[in-house]
Order: sequence, then structure tokens, then C-alpha cells
Amino acid sequence: MRDDTLFKELEKEIFICAQCNFCRICPVYYEEGWESSSPRGRIYLLKGILKREIKFEEIEGIVQDFFKCTTCGICEVVCQTSIPLIEIWEKAREVFVKRKGPLKAHERIRNSALKNGNPYGEELNKRDEWFKQLSENFEIKKAELVYFAGCTASYRMNEIAKSVVSILNKAGVDFSYAGRDEYCCGSPFLRTGQRDLAIEFFKKNYREWRKRGVKKILTSCSGCFRTIKKDYPVIAKELGYAWNFEVIHVSQLLLELINEKKLKVRKKKLKATYHDPCHLGRHMGIYEEPRRVLELSGIELIEMEDNKERSLCCGAGGGVKSQFKDLAMKIGKKRVAQAENIGVKMIISSCPFCKLHLKQASEGKLEVIDLVELIDKFS
Amino acid sequence: MKSIPNSIHPVQLYLYSHDITSPPFLIKLFISKPKAVYQPRNENEILEILNYARDNRLNVIPRGAGTSGYGGVLPYSPYNSIIIDFFRMKEFEIDEKQKILIAEPGVVWWDVERELNKVGLSLRVYPTSAPASTIAGWISAGGYGVGSLRYGGIAENVERLRIADFSGVRETEDIHLFSGLHGTTGIITKAWIKLKEYEEYNAVAFHVSIDEAVKLVENWKNYIYSAFFLSSEYITAKNQVFRDDVQYEVPEKDTLVIVGVENSKQLLNLSNLKIGNPQLGEHLWDLRFYSMRVKRLGPTLIISEVILPYNSIPEYVKKMKKMGAMIEIWFNKNNVTSLSFFLADERKVGYTLAWRKSIKAMKLAYSLGGKAYSTGLYLAHHSPKVIEEYYELLNYKKKIDPLNLLNYGKVFPKGRLPTLMKIAELIS
Repeated sequence: MRDDTLFKELEKEIFICAQCNFCRICPVYYEEGWESSSPRGRIYLLKGILKREIKFEEIEGIVQDFFKCTTCGICEVVCQTSIPLIEIWEKAREVFVKRKGPLKAHERIRNSALKNGNPYGEELNKRDEWFKQLSENFEIKKAELVYFAGCTASYRMNEIAKSVVSILNKAGVDFSYAGRDEYCCGSPFLRTGQRDLAIEFFKKNYREWRKRGVKKILTSCSGCFRTIKKDYPVIAKELGYAWNFEVIHVSQLLLELINEKKLKVRKKKLKATYHDPCHLGRHMGIYEEPRRVLELSGIELIEMEDNKERSLCCGAGGGVKSQFKDLAMKIGKKRVAQAENIGVKMIISSCPFCKLHLKQASEGKLEVIDLVELIDKFS
Repeated sequence: MKSIPNSIHPVQLYLYSHDITSPPFLIKLFISKPKAVYQPRNENEILEILNYARDNRLNVIPRGAGTSGYGGVLPYSPYNSIIIDFFRMKEFEIDEKQKILIAEPGVVWWDVERELNKVGLSLRVYPTSAPASTIAGWISAGGYGVGSLRYGGIAENVERLRIADFSGVRETEDIHLFSGLHGTTGIITKAWIKLKEYEEYNAVAFHVSIDEAVKLVENWKNYIYSAFFLSSEYITAKNQVFRDDVQYEVPEKDTLVIVGVENSKQLLNLSNLKIGNPQLGEHLWDLRFYSMRVKRLGPTLIISEVILPYNSIPEYVKKMKKMGAMIEIWFNKNNVTSLSFFLADERKVGYTLAWRKSIKAMKLAYSLGGKAYSTGLYLAHHSPKVIEEYYELLNYKKKIDPLNLLNYGKVFPKGRLPTLMKIAELIS
């Protein structure tokens, strides 16, 4: 059975856990306080299942705690025994979903995505509306670089996608955009144990990129970036597809364009803090590029107490925002409070999902803006 | 009681029935699940739990982070128990003038240190499990830690305790009635901990034998803050697991690290040795919390922790090396704490036998004038040898806990496990 194989793959890592609880800094455990919602507790639960001391039937009523993790990855940073915990959470969730089915909200986004290609329940033919609003004269052509806007920027945070296009045009970068042929990258489904659906979206996006002769994929969403850069090559390998795309995040492109003087930024006097998106920072190791871009723009960057590798998650990832709204909001408010504590009025991030959530959590107290929007304003 | 956050879900109870050990099958027979886990938010709720436990004849097990390895937080089968988890009691304040920390039981050591440093203060001692372990957890387990070379064990660094038992709540400066006793004589609800001024430390590593290391530390101990020794075998194993994360490999030699406020040049002069390596010292000092990293090679790690006098540590180390142990030694003011690590695999049939290594290490320590580091559940039968004033404490326990409900079977041996452990020691 697939789930037995999955668990077997994880077995050694699960037994390696020292139960030292260094991972207690998990933002979810901090809010919830029960072992079942802590990384250590989750590993011990899996160990119990492997040792047959816990039966699958017994996890009813507690398995949802396994899905409270935002997959932020801070547990991996502090893990005494270097266990690849994110991989474990995702694989174990896949097994739980196979056995018990997805959680209600996760099932809802699944159905929505099956129908419309996005988890927001929006119509597929409205995906490119933001693009059409830019200019009637915009022409989509074949290009080596494709901008992958992602679902959040396409349907909820249009200003980010518009800023990316604006910057590409200012810098004279030739690019393509798939419009209605762009589908969800699959990240919400990879994080919530519904990998099968992510594979379907991979196939659709892959086909489109091949058709357009794409060589390089640009994302402005950190979740899409992690998925396309890290998960897609694995899926491609499993499916026997060739994978030779270069994948970059817009923060990397911005730095490149500024350094090459293709993008001129007017320096502004501004004090702000930067929130590291988990999928960009801890998952992909990109901490310096966005900071360097801010520095080159003259912005006085004041770091929050928890930053870079130790950054506090915004609270929205891993399917938590859809299924556990209150929990997500508590974590988001804590992050906003960290920004307030250092006396800034603006949080800059580099992910539409983080922006959406921190904006809601800040309730208008702070301005929350994406890096690309800010640079677009200053260039 | 219903208003106190609690759980009776069988899987949740399972998740609260372990510490950092993976006990073998025979010992697991003595470990059960509690009836419930409670997370009190204040002292009144602790008293409510105690009354409920007394009325229902339930053993009360206080639990910090569960990072000890003596079974002190485990539900002892077949006796009914409830666990008190102090997760919701983690408030603390800093008396900067008196240099005292006043903390609730669930406060984590390293959370405190972060805040103390902001106001120019620092903990005098902390455990190597500081990123996770709690204030009351370490006080209850007792023992030594980082800084114990200068400041002694945790008990010497606690000024006052606030204790709850079946007769109510009181404050006391009789720390010895509670430290190292795993909550068997009362529940800590607040602790006053001594602090010091913040100091920047420098560390230097020396590749010296254990004999030389002991002599050097004895000579320097009035000048430095902390010192620890790593055996070459332990460093070899660490190199294997750190290879992916750290750019350079540590020379696979016996290594002593000394830590002090002096700069590295002064530390080198202090040693009269010109072979010290400050860069390596800093590196090993930075990794001081990561002693169990070698578990990656296991996947199970059997740990033996003993206290030894300075003069017998060289012989102990030599014999332990022959047993295949990886050794880490922390020097304290009047003794040393020795940790011996053995790799094992709990999934294999012979795992029970592998635990004998830990027993052998302890027996060797006793033969050299040493003793077990702590007692808890697994080593409760050693308490008369490990704990000074054991019989005085036993009388105190009987007085304040006549029904023997406070962490039954821990420290003060009861039930069948002590007999099994004695047999295991005889045949090891």
C-alpha cells in the first residue's frame, strides 16, 4: 500500500527524533499548547503508529491537530537531529488524507480547484482580468520568460501582479503570461496532503510552458516559487518528464535589474520592516536579495525580533488559513505586534498570501505592502 | 475542574507518556497513560487539581518539557495518575536591582535568557536543554549545567520557591526539600532564581588528554566560567552528522573547551599552552545545546549520566572509551557531570540488552566514588546513595503527602520496578 510505503520511507527519521522539544518554538504549539499540535508530539504520534501503539481508528478527534501546522519550517531550523520535518508533515498528511479524507475546508478548496483551477472558487475565465485592465494594447507573445502570477495575485492581490508587469515593461524584459491557461501551482494541495491534485496542475502548467517555449519561470508568490522550484522537479522525475526550467522569484529579478541598471529606483526616505515569507526564506534560503533591494532603494530597514531563519510565520500557510481561521489570525496578529514593537508603520513582504493575511491581521494599523509594489512605485 | 484546560483523548494521553528516553520492552511494562492531562493557568487551579487528586486517589505528575531521561514525568503503571503540564504558566518578571528572576514553573530557560540580555543581565547557570526545558523542570530534576563550574548546581542558584501541596501554598528557602525530588514533595508554582551581570564569553579549544584536561581545569577554575571535554570518538561521530551543515570538520582528537570573559589571548596565556584554538572553541561552544545530534547515527541513543569526583574522571573516561562510549564531560565546581552516549536501534530485538551499557557505566562510576546524576523513576532505588539527607526527606514526604500521591514511585522507590532494576544491575 502507498501509505505503508510512505510511512516506511519516513521511519528512520521518525525514530531519530530526540524528543528534545527544541521545536517548541513552533508558532502553532505556542498558541495551542498541546503536544498533539507540537512538532515533537506529531513525530511521537507517527512513531506510535509505526510501533502499532496507536491505531488509525484512535486518531479521530485529534488528527486535525496534525493539520494545524503552517509548514513554516522553523522546527527544521532548530531540530537537534536535523530531521527533514516539512517533508514528514506533508507525507504524513497525505497518508491521513488517504485514510480519513481531507479536512472540510481543504475539501472545499479541492472541489473549487477541480472546477476552476484555483482554490478561491473564482471562475477560470476571470483569471486574467487583472492583466486586461493594464492596457488594451498589451499583446501576449511567445517568450522565454513566463510570468506565473499565481492564484492569490490573480484573484485577490491584483496590485502585485500588475506591479510585476509594470516593472518588466519598465526594464524592457520580454515576457509571456499564460492568462487563462495558467493553473494553480498546486501548493495548497501539496501542503494539505492532496498531492494527487497538485500533480494534475503540474501537468497542465508544464504542457503550457512547453507549448510557449518557456525557459525561465518568474513568480511573485513565495508559495508558487517553492512549489515550482522545489516540488515540480520531483514530480517531473516521478512522471518521467524532462525538467530544465529556470525558476526565479521576483525579489531575485529586482536585484538583478537594479544591479544591471535596467531598473532605476528613486531613493526614498522610508522606515519599514521586512517579513520573510516562510516559503521564500526557510524553504528556499532567500533572505538577502529582498533586503538588498530595499537597501538600494534607500529604505531604512528595521528588523523585527524574529527575522530571517528565525522569522515568525504570518500564520496563513499549510492550509491553516482556510481550515483554522482563528489560529491563523492569532499568529498573524503576533507577527504584526512584532512590527509594532519596533515602531515601524510599514511591513514589506514578498508574497501575496503573506500580504493578504498580515493586512487582515493588522486591521489597518500598519501598511502592508509587497516588495514589488514598493519598487514599482519608486521606479 | 472542568474549566481548567484538559484533555482525556487517548492519543493525547499517549503523547504525554514519554520523556527523552526510549525504554526497552521490560521497562515499558511499567509505563502507562495518565487518566487526564491538565494545564492549570494559576496557583488556584493547581490547588484545585491537588484536591481533586486527593479526593480521587490519583497520583499527580508535574511535567515541564519532558526533556529529562529518568522517567520522572512518566505515568507509573499500574497506578492511576494525572499529569499537570505547566504550559499555561509561563509568566516571569526580572528584579534588575536585586538581580533575581521570579518565574512561573513553565517558563523556558532560554526565553528568559533572551529577555535578561536585553537589560544587561544573564542566568548564572542553565541546563544544556535550555532551549526547551522549563524553570521548574530543571529545579525538580536537579543537577548541574552550563556555568556550574563557577556557580554550582541549580539548587545553589535558587533563592526561594513557592510550593503547592495538599495543605495549601507557601514560600520557602529550603530548596533542598524540592530540588532533585521530581515533584514528590510539592509542586513548584514560582521560583526566585539568582542572576548575574551579562558577560561576553570567549571560548578556546585545546587538544589535550583527559588527564591534562582535569589538571588544567583544576588550575583555572577560579578564573573561567565554564569548561567541557569531548572525547575523540564523540567528535568523530559529530563530524559524520554535522558534515552537511558545517563547513569545517573538527579535528578528531580529545578536546577541552574553556569559556571565560577573558579574551582568547588571555585564555591562552592562562593555560600556558600555545596550542589553543579560539575558532574551534567558539564553534564547539555554539554547539553546546546539540549534544544529541549524533542520534542521527542510531537512530536510538542510550545515555548514561553520572557525577564523578575530579580525581577519578581520567580512569572513568579511559574505561568508558574501551566500552565504545562517546563522552561529553561538563566540569562543575566540586565534581564533573559525565555523559556517555551509545548508539543503538530500539527497533531491534537486542535493544533491551543494549541498555546494560548504561547500567555498566553507572556501576563503574560508583566504583570510582561517583554516583547517578538523578533518580526519577528508573533509578529511584538509588536515591539513598544519590540524595544527601534522603531519610530526612523521606520523613518530610510522609508528613506532607501521607497518601503518597505526589509523583508516586519517583525518587522514593515503590512498586515492582525497583526490583527489576536491581536485578538488571546485578546481571549487567
